[in-house]
Amino acid sequence: MENISEVLTLFLSIDNFMAIAAGVLIGVVVGAIPGLTATMAVALALPFTFSMEPVTAILLLVGIYKGGMYGGSITAILIRTPGSPAAACTLLDGYPMAQQGQAKKALKTALYSSVVADLISNVALIFFAAYLAKIALNFGPPEYFWLICFSLTIIVSVSGNSAIKGLIAAGLGIIISTIGLDAVYGTQRLTFDNYNLMDRVSFIPLLIGLFAIPEVIDFYTSRVAPHIRTAVSGASLTWKEFKGSLKTVIRGSVIGVIIGAIPGTGATSAAFISYSEAKRTSPRKDNFGKGEVEGVAAAEAGNNGVAGATLIPLLSLGIPGDVITAIILGAFMIHGLTPGPVLFQENLPLVYALFCGILVSSFVLVFVGNAAIRYFSIIADIPKTILLPIVLMFCIYGAYAVNNSTFDIGLMLAFGVLGFLFNRTGVAAAPFLIGFILGPMFEDNLRRTLLISKGDPTIFFRGPIAWVFIMLTVASVAFAFRRYWIARREQA
Amino acid sequence: MIELFGLRLKRSVLGAVTAVSLACGGLAQAEEWPDDNIRLVVPYSAGGTTDLLSRKVADLLQRELSTVVVENRPGAGSTVATGQLARGGRGSDHMLLMASPGHTIGASLYPNLRYDPVADFAFIRNVINIPNVMVVPASSPYNTVAEFVEAAREQQLSFSSPGIGSSIHMSGELFKNLTKTQLVHVPFRGSGEALPALLAGDVDVAFENMPTVYPHIQSGKLKALAVTTPQESEFLPGVPTMQQAGAGYGLEDYETSAWFGLIAHKSFPESGLEKLELALEKIMSGDDFQNFLPQFGAVAGEEVGEDFRAMVKSELAKWSEVAEQANLKR
Repeated sequence: MENISEVLTLFLSIDNFMAIAAGVLIGVVVGAIPGLTATMAVALALPFTFSMEPVTAILLLVGIYKGGMYGGSITAILIRTPGSPAAACTLLDGYPMAQQGQAKKALKTALYSSVVADLISNVALIFFAAYLAKIALNFGPPEYFWLICFSLTIIVSVSGNSAIKGLIAAGLGIIISTIGLDAVYGTQRLTFDNYNLMDRVSFIPLLIGLFAIPEVIDFYTSRVAPHIRTAVSGASLTWKEFKGSLKTVIRGSVIGVIIGAIPGTGATSAAFISYSEAKRTSPRKDNFGKGEVEGVAAAEAGNNGVAGATLIPLLSLGIPGDVITAIILGAFMIHGLTPGPVLFQENLPLVYALFCGILVSSFVLVFVGNAAIRYFSIIADIPKTILLPIVLMFCIYGAYAVNNSTFDIGLMLAFGVLGFLFNRTGVAAAPFLIGFILGPMFEDNLRRTLLISKGDPTIFFRGPIAWVFIMLTVASVAFAFRRYWIARREQA
Repeated sequence: MIELFGLRLKRSVLGAVTAVSLACGGLAQAEEWPDDNIRLVVPYSAGGTTDLLSRKVADLLQRELSTVVVENRPGAGSTVATGQLARGGRGSDHMLLMASPGHTIGASLYPNLRYDPVADFAFIRNVINIPNVMVVPASSPYNTVAEFVEAAREQQLSFSSPGIGSSIHMSGELFKNLTKTQLVHVPFRGSGEALPALLAGDVDVAFENMPTVYPHIQSGKLKALAVTTPQESEFLPGVPTMQQAGAGYGLEDYETSAWFGLIAHKSFPESGLEKLELALEKIMSGDDFQNFLPQFGAVAGEEVGEDFRAMVKSELAKWSEVAEQANLKR
């Protein structure tokens, strides 16, 4: 009883609510602007939290994190420019919906899927943190290796019409991802002695180039300039439609929670795995990639499911799963708190006050998200002749802002041309992106595993977690083949 | 009559305007440093340890001098931003850079840097030192540095790091060189990924930064065998220094720590250097800074000016040799 009142005293302050609201708002806006990432916003906000109460400070940062995770989807849907890497999956169906005049529906689907996933993720954080943390600790390099193998099988489901073209794109993505310093020996690979390439090809310029620039080129090269106004005033999302996707949202959230609890895997993978699962089980699988509500829901549920769960290894083990949680760890330390089992023993009321705030943040996201949709929707009503030059400007700014590097602008434009060629030749860009993200993880974990075992391959089969992912990988590949044979038989 | 921006001006008026603006310029020059915002370049991404410490230092510095703007310019292990600073040019008289072990390690690893990491810079002050700690998982059979070295000479053990060329990786390479053992380096991407492998016992040892492993030492999941600084750390009472614990195993001179210090372009104004030194002296003795340090298991840096330069020079020599022996020159 004493504890509860202590929790409430810590939590029920106007400062906390303002911090949550401000955090989510900053996150949504920053997340929506390409090149400005939630990571940057959290890092920039950190010094301002030095003088705040610990709970307030951390809630502000968590708010930005959560807002940013959703915000990325807004520009992904409206102008095919993912505001954050995790939103790259959302645009696969979100942008086609916007083109068909259903921008509002897509935005609302993204928002409500995000909110539901966020809630599920938070509940998992509060109730299953200890259990999920145990899984995270048992996740060594061999287990990562199989998780990545399983994730690579989703290439097939995001390949569009041609699996072969998808595999070619994924292969290209993997080749591009090998540029930079070799992780083990430090030798330069394909850098041509250029310092800008030593830290690998930057992700954000690649992302912006691949998805946003082709739209711009397309517009200026098509002979008849289509004067489309994707009016947002189109139909909104009905409860019936959302209910249809609810199963997908819940499944996506669970995928997000599991991926989020494992440090270093990331929201982008979660979004794609969730999307691929939704497509596999959906009765409308042929509509995926052409503007399917369920596709948007799956992607957003996947990446927002990660947001609460990344706090699991942070709070229960003191291990940051990504850059943002690493900064939040810094915030804890600045306030003299060390996340981990000790935190639960010594500062339990504080932990519960944080949980209260994190739960509230999900609901705040509903309001802030709706407001954001209203204002950002103006974008969709701007004629393309005016909008696209502005988009181009933001692309250039976004590519530059990440590393303050002009080289990245050139890189972004080069990937823009590649994306345009992909579009013209019917190659899907998503497999390229997945290859680029997962390729290095695959290589790193393969090599790490063999370094740890001193070359003994039996380590790959060392425990139940490894076997679970081996079986998932085999099942996923078998399923893809089965579909391929059925399709062939139907053709014959 | 002269026409300017469509205005017809008498020559005398123009003359007067010129004279006034020249006078103002003269006044501005007579003003003392800093007469502009100070820019503090962080050669790593936002959110890392260097960034976190820099933002705190920037916050404290601007209370003493003028506005300090932090700029992140990551790339090629800090060498991109450092190279830009070395080139100098406009604004370099108000530009500082937070140097760290990457400054000397980067110079030891990359073959064709276009700058000299010692001669091309003005060295202001080493601000913060964070010790590294040699840690093994709680399940490890080794309880002392001596036991560990004995075992590592018999069999191949492994150490983790958050990435090749990090100070944590190089600390391990130095250990390997001095003890003549064959440790295998297992690189991860960031400490967040490296830590679970260590906690689970997938790797045998790590030479991690104090703040990363401190909570796990406290909770008993990791055992601290030694700290890498010449003095014991007040945060880990009873844990010996590497020099003590490794005596007889070649570790008598072992010393590594993550240091963070301010450097500037070599032609940085003299008055600026003096002011910065004074300001740093003041903030570093202040409560705010002193209370900040323990959160990172850190201690205040001591080397000022030429002493700082000498420290960087000896660090450079140390890492160059390690890089040479570990065949890490790229």
